[in-house]
Amino acid sequence: MSSIVEQELIPEAKKTIPRGWIFAGIIVVWAIIGKIMNGKYTLAVNLADQTKMSASINDWANHLGQNRQSNPFFVYFITPVREFISGLVDFIRSVISVPLAHSSIPMLGWLGIFAVIGFIVFITSNFRQSLFAMAMIFSVGALGLWTQSMDSLALVLTAAILSLIIGIPVGIWAGLSDRGLAVVTPILDLAQILPTLVYLAPVALFFLIGPAAATIATMIYTIPISIRLTAFGIRGVPKSPVEASVSMGTTKWQLLRHVQLPMASRTIVLGINQTTLAALSFAVIATLIGAPGLGDPVVQALVLRNVGDGAVAGLAVVLIAIMFDRSTSATLKKQGIYVPPSEKAIRNRRIGIGIFGAITVAAIVVSRQFKWAAFFPESINVSKPIADFADKFTSGAVDHFGFATTGLNTLITETILNPLESLLTGTPWFITSLAIVAISFLLGGARSAIVTTILLLAIVSTGLWQDTMVTFTQTIVATLLTMIIGVILGVWIGRSERADKVLRPFLDAGQVLPAFVYLIPMLGFFGPSRFTGIATGIIYSIPIVVKIVGQGIREVPVNMNEAAISAGSTKWQQITKVQLPAAKNSLLLATNQGLIFVLAVIVIGGFVGSGGLGYLVLVGQSKVEMTGKGLVAGLAILLLGVMIDRIAQYTVRRNSAPKQ
Amino acid sequence: MTGKTKVGFKLSAIAGAAALLLTACGGAGVDAGSTASAASTGAPCGSYTIAMHAWVGYTASAQVLTNVGKSLGCDIKQVKLDEAKTSYDAMESGTVDLIVEDWGGGRWKDWVDRGAVVDLGSDGNVGQIGMYVPKWMAEKYPDITDAANLNKYADLFKTPESKGKGAWLEGPPGYTTIGEKLISANKLNYTAINVGSEQALIDAFTKGTENKTPVIGYWWTPHYLLAKLGLVRVNFPKSTWTDAAKADGTTDYPASDLEKLASKKLATSGDAFSKLVTNWKWTNDDQNAVASDIDGGMTPEAAAQKWIDAHADVVASWTK
Repeated sequence: MSSIVEQELIPEAKKTIPRGWIFAGIIVVWAIIGKIMNGKYTLAVNLADQTKMSASINDWANHLGQNRQSNPFFVYFITPVREFISGLVDFIRSVISVPLAHSSIPMLGWLGIFAVIGFIVFITSNFRQSLFAMAMIFSVGALGLWTQSMDSLALVLTAAILSLIIGIPVGIWAGLSDRGLAVVTPILDLAQILPTLVYLAPVALFFLIGPAAATIATMIYTIPISIRLTAFGIRGVPKSPVEASVSMGTTKWQLLRHVQLPMASRTIVLGINQTTLAALSFAVIATLIGAPGLGDPVVQALVLRNVGDGAVAGLAVVLIAIMFDRSTSATLKKQGIYVPPSEKAIRNRRIGIGIFGAITVAAIVVSRQFKWAAFFPESINVSKPIADFADKFTSGAVDHFGFATTGLNTLITETILNPLESLLTGTPWFITSLAIVAISFLLGGARSAIVTTILLLAIVSTGLWQDTMVTFTQTIVATLLTMIIGVILGVWIGRSERADKVLRPFLDAGQVLPAFVYLIPMLGFFGPSRFTGIATGIIYSIPIVVKIVGQGIREVPVNMNEAAISAGSTKWQQITKVQLPAAKNSLLLATNQGLIFVLAVIVIGGFVGSGGLGYLVLVGQSKVEMTGKGLVAGLAILLLGVMIDRIAQYTVRRNSAPKQ
Repeated sequence: MTGKTKVGFKLSAIAGAAALLLTACGGAGVDAGSTASAASTGAPCGSYTIAMHAWVGYTASAQVLTNVGKSLGCDIKQVKLDEAKTSYDAMESGTVDLIVEDWGGGRWKDWVDRGAVVDLGSDGNVGQIGMYVPKWMAEKYPDITDAANLNKYADLFKTPESKGKGAWLEGPPGYTTIGEKLISANKLNYTAINVGSEQALIDAFTKGTENKTPVIGYWWTPHYLLAKLGLVRVNFPKSTWTDAAKADGTTDYPASDLEKLASKKLATSGDAFSKLVTNWKWTNDDQNAVASDIDGGMTPEAAAQKWIDAHADVVASWTK
C-alpha cells in the first residue's frame, strides 16, 4: 500500500503537463471550433426520415414478416421454439393465474397457491421463512394484484427455469474448461453492458409480441447471470480436494458430481437467487413486448402519470422479490453451516413435512371447491390507502417543493445539459469525434483511442449520430451527478456503521425496484423533460455506486487513516487526502458501473420526453415504417455502451493503483 | 448430499400426489356457477382478448364492449399493448383478438393481405388529429389559428427543452404523428418535443389553460378534454394524405374513420362476441361521455356500465 502514498508525494506534474490541463485544453479547442462551425456537418436526421441502414433494415423486417409462414428458418426453428415456450408459460399460467377452459379459476385457487408456496419454502429452508414467504404473497393479494402477480410469477418461473437449464451446464463447461471460459467470457461481458431496451425489438421481430417473446427476452437477460455464477462457483473450488480425488482415480464425471458440484453448490444457489431476481426485475419492461402481469399496471400508471397505482404495483414487485430473495438466501445459509441433525430433529422435521404437506393438499382441494378459497377476497384490499398516500406524498412534495424541482430542472438543463448537448451535437461530427478520441487517449491510452475511433465510425455509419450524441450527453450528465451524490453517500456509509445500517435497506430496495416504477414520480416532479430521464438514471445507478465506493473506503487500511489523524488532519483532509485517493480503484470501478447503469435507464427516458435513441426504439416498436430505425437505434445504443465501457475499462487498467 | 436428494424425492412425491388429486377432483365446485351463467344466455361464447391502447377514449370503447361481452357469457380479457404493428403482430401470434379503434388509415394492409388481421370497418367514431392551443391564446392572438402565422408567435413557446425555438409538443410514440414533417415543410421555427404520453399532454394543456402559459401541442377528437378545456385547432392547409408514412408535411392531418380490426379467430367464429363486435357502432359523443366519467375518477367498468344502463336500446341493437 505504500506505493499509493508515494504516488501522492510525487505529484505527476513534475513528469508531464497535468492531465487535467490537457483535458481542459481539449474542451476549450472543441468548444471554439464548435462555436465557429456550429450547425455544420452535424448529420441531423428528422424523426420520420430514414437513413440508408434503417431503410434497408426496414425492408428486411417487412420481408421477414411476410415470409413468416413459408421461410424454413421460421417454420422449423423460430415457430417451434415460440410455440414450445408459449406452451410452457401457458401451462404454468393455467396452474396459477389463467382460468382453465370452461372454468373460472386456474388449476389452483389462491389458497392452494398460497399453501404450495409456503410448503416449498418450508422444504427448502425452514418454517420461519415459510411463514414469511406466505405473508409476502398474501400482501401481494391484499394490494389487489393477485392475478397480475401470478402472471408475473408464471413468466419469471418459466424464464428462470429455462435460464438455469441452459445456464448451469454452460457454466459448468466454462468452469471446467479454459476454452469454454474463453468462448463464454466476451459474450457475458457484452450481455452485461447491453441495455435491456435494446433487445426487446429484435426478439419481438422474430418471436412476435406475446408471452413467448417476453420469456425469451428475459432469458437473454438472465442466462448470462446463471452462467457466470456457476462458472465462478466451479472455479472457486479449492485445488486440494480436486487433486486428491484425481490421485485416487476418480473419473471426470465422478469428480464433477461428487466434489466440484457439491463444493460449488453455494455459489450455484446464489446463481439461482440472482437469476430469479433478475427475471423478476425484467418482468416490468417485458410488458412492452407482451408479458402479462405486474408490468401492465406499472406501464399503465406511467401513461396516466398515476403515481399511486404505480407505487402499489411497484410495491408488489418488491414484495415478491423479497420473498424470492429471503427464501433462497435462507437455503444458502442452511447449506453453509452443516450441523449433523439429531435423530429427534430429523423426526420432528419429517413430522412437520407430513403435517404441512397434508394441510397443503387440503388447501388445494378447498381452493378448487369454494369461492372464498378460489378468488382472493376482494374485501382484503389495502391498495387504496397506499395509492392515496403515495399520491398525496408526491403531489404534496410537488406543491411544496415544485419551485425547487422546477428550479433544479432548469438549472441543470441550462447550465450543463444544453451547453454540453449543443457542443456534442452542434459541432461537426468529425470534430466531436476527434475530441472524444483525444479524451479517450488521455484517459485510457492508445488502445482505448483506437477502439473509440472504430466505434465512433460505426455509430456514424448507422446514420443516427445526432440521436446517439443526445443520449451520450444525458448519460454523461447523469453519471456526473450520480458520482457526486454517490461518492458523498459512499464515503458516509464507508466511515459510519450507523449510516450503513440506515442506507442499506434503501440501496437494496433501489436495486430490485424496476426503474419504470420511479420514473412515474420523477415525471411528477420534473415533468416531461430530459432531466426526468436523467433523474431516473441517477436513482437507478446510485445504489451500485454507493455500495462500491463504501466498500472501497472501508477497505482502506485503518493504520493509514490513524496516521493521518495523529498528524492532525481534519476530517475533510482525511477523506480527501487519504481515504478517497486510497480508494481510487473503487472510484474508477464505480464510475464504470455508474455509466453502464445510467445508460441502461436513460434510454427508457424516451417515455417521458428525453428524446434520443431511446425514443427511436420506442417509436420503432409501434410504427411499421419505423421498425428499421428502431432496430438501428438499438444497435447505436449498443455501440455507445461498448464505447463507454471500453474507455472506462482501459482507464481502470491504466490508472489502477498497483496492488501491494 | 443425502439430505438434498431426500428433499428432492419428497418434493416430487408430493407433486405427484397433488397432480393425482387434481385430476381426481375433476370438475371443481367453483366452476359450476360460471358454466350455468353461460348456458342461460344460449349460444356458447368463446374467450377473447382486447388489445388496450393507451388513450382514454380507447379504454371507453373497449370497456363497453368488455362489459356487454361478459354479460353475454363471453370470456373477455384486456391486455395493454402498443398501437399498430405491435398489436397486429400480437393478433398474428394469437395473443389478442380485437383493436376497437385504429387510426392508421390502412397501415394494417400487409397483415390483412396475409390473412392475419380482418378489417371490420368503421366503429362509428371519426378521428381528427391536429395541433391545438388553449382557448385564451386563440382569443388573445386571433390569427394564431392559421398555421401561416405560427412563426410570429414562436418566441412565446420557448422552453429550456426547445433549443431556442418554439416548443411544439408532439404526440406520444405510438400515435400517428407528422409533427417534424409539418415543421420542416412549412418552415416553422419550432422544435418538436416528444412528451411521451397522453397524460403529459393533458398536463401541459391543463396548466396552459389554468395559468395562461403559452402551449401548442398535438391533440385529437374524439376526446373529452377538447370540450372541457375548449382547445382551439391551428389550421394547416387541408389534408391530402391518408397514410402518415407517405405524408409530405405540407398539409394537415386528415379526418379519418376509426376502424375495428379483429383477429381471424374472432372474425370467423360467428359467436355472440363476434356478432357484437361486428354490429357495434357509436358516436364521438357516446365515447366522450364514458371517457369523461373515467377521467372524473370512475373505474372504466363502472363508467362503461353507466352508459350501457342508460342506452339499453342501443346495446340491444348491437346484440341482435
